[in-house]
Amino acid sequence: MPILPATTVDFFLAGLEAFMRRSGQGTHWGVTVLQLEAKPDAQTLTQAWEQIHARHPMLGARLKRQWRGWRWVWETHGTISAPPICWHGVQALPPDAAVIQERLQGRSSAGELTTPLWMEVFPWGADGGHVILLTWRHALLDGTGINLLLEKLAAGACAAGPPAQTMPARESMARVYKRAKPLTDRLHEMTSAGCLSAWKKGMPTGGRPEYRLIELSREESAKATARLRALCGDFLQMPFYAAIAARALRLLHERRGWHSPEIHLHLPMQLRGRSRELIFGNHMGAMPLFLDAGALGTVDEAVAHVLEKYRESMREGRRQASEALTTLAAQLPLSTFIPMVRWTNMGQICSLFHSHTGSFLPGRTEFAGAAVQNICTIPSVSTPPGLGIFVSDYAGLITVTLAWRGDGVSQAEIEALNQRIRTDLTGIAEE
Amino acid sequence: MPEVPISPAAVIELLTSEHILEPQEALTPDTDLFSMGLDSMAMMQLLLLIEERFRLTINPAEMTRERFATASALAGFLGEKRRLAA
Repeated sequence: MPILPATTVDFFLAGLEAFMRRSGQGTHWGVTVLQLEAKPDAQTLTQAWEQIHARHPMLGARLKRQWRGWRWVWETHGTISAPPICWHGVQALPPDAAVIQERLQGRSSAGELTTPLWMEVFPWGADGGHVILLTWRHALLDGTGINLLLEKLAAGACAAGPPAQTMPARESMARVYKRAKPLTDRLHEMTSAGCLSAWKKGMPTGGRPEYRLIELSREESAKATARLRALCGDFLQMPFYAAIAARALRLLHERRGWHSPEIHLHLPMQLRGRSRELIFGNHMGAMPLFLDAGALGTVDEAVAHVLEKYRESMREGRRQASEALTTLAAQLPLSTFIPMVRWTNMGQICSLFHSHTGSFLPGRTEFAGAAVQNICTIPSVSTPPGLGIFVSDYAGLITVTLAWRGDGVSQAEIEALNQRIRTDLTGIAEE
Repeated sequence: MPEVPISPAAVIELLTSEHILEPQEALTPDTDLFSMGLDSMAMMQLLLLIEERFRLTINPAEMTRERFATASALAGFLGEKRRLAA
């Protein structure tokens, strides 16, 4: 059967999903929410949906270990038929949190989701507003992939399948180990310092996926963008948002009276050479950053600190080291990967899940013929780390998603995080 | 070590030899670098390479779309920085 090369991030996400399943946290789902001003064109959507399924065998792929070479590959079984797009009847209000939480648990109103991609359209209100929920399995899609998928759906066509991919060259494990060693040493330093996430030993690890959207108004978004540009220029959005996320986590630690000398983030970074036609299959590598909690006093200090650590990580080749470390870990059975990480990290995986998925549908004001109001993504997170802070934007409107599980973060804490993040982003202190 | 001269050709050489861009066709001083695949993810890498090769310190806030749009614009910005630093 045809096989496609898997990346180390594919292995990481599969390992994380195995951990989530074993600890009662389900499958790793995400939901992208499109708020539209009118009804999208059904024919446009259906045509793109069917073409995407027909041309991307990854939608039916399974990650498996190849006997020859003992490496992970995606095994495909030909194309799968597209599940029907589910059109709901008109409702008074847009789908609420309970509907999205159900999707984050891999369920629709019809039962368990059996495909990695699921689309529903919800007409609501008297003004013709529509909401599309796209539910997707994170093992197959990342932030870049979602954007590519939205572009195809918006355009009503998916003319090409994924590009031909070649297996990466084999490397001796001794060389891989050498590349991973500086990062391993750094991780041990962090572990012995007692680095915490939003979870610590004794707290529960399960619970229903919960989320809160922090939707900035156009004026607030403009202020945040101006602040971002003043500190990080036109390109380095990720360090800006990572600094804000790290400050939010520090606030959580302070409120709980916890001492975590460092904050350990894995920033997603685009892997060079991943094609724009590769919708399904991760485009990202991870850049480990070790932030001093004491250097996050103000937004300016925190951004300067993240940029300094980012430079340090680039100079020391930490992204490559992270990839090498995961390559070594990929020799382990999938189910032991995260337990091993937690064993070496005193129960933790990292301090926080964080990403900035960039601008959705750049340059487009319509989606399948309907004007777009906003787009955001709601990923589910595992515990540990127990908290995810994800940023996306559409046409200059910034949305931050806080994601956690069960009672792992209290409502009072979420309110405090909401306030801190808004203030940090816009520079406007709330009353 | 002598200073590496800053020119559009030197910028193109940096972009291609360090695999920041892998264009199908040869880059010219006026090629739109963003349409060739220069993205935000590659920017920090480029920033470090510029600092290393041309021995200039760039503040990320100085990294604007106009300054990085073409090899010619980037060489102009870097040349000006070196002149001011001299």
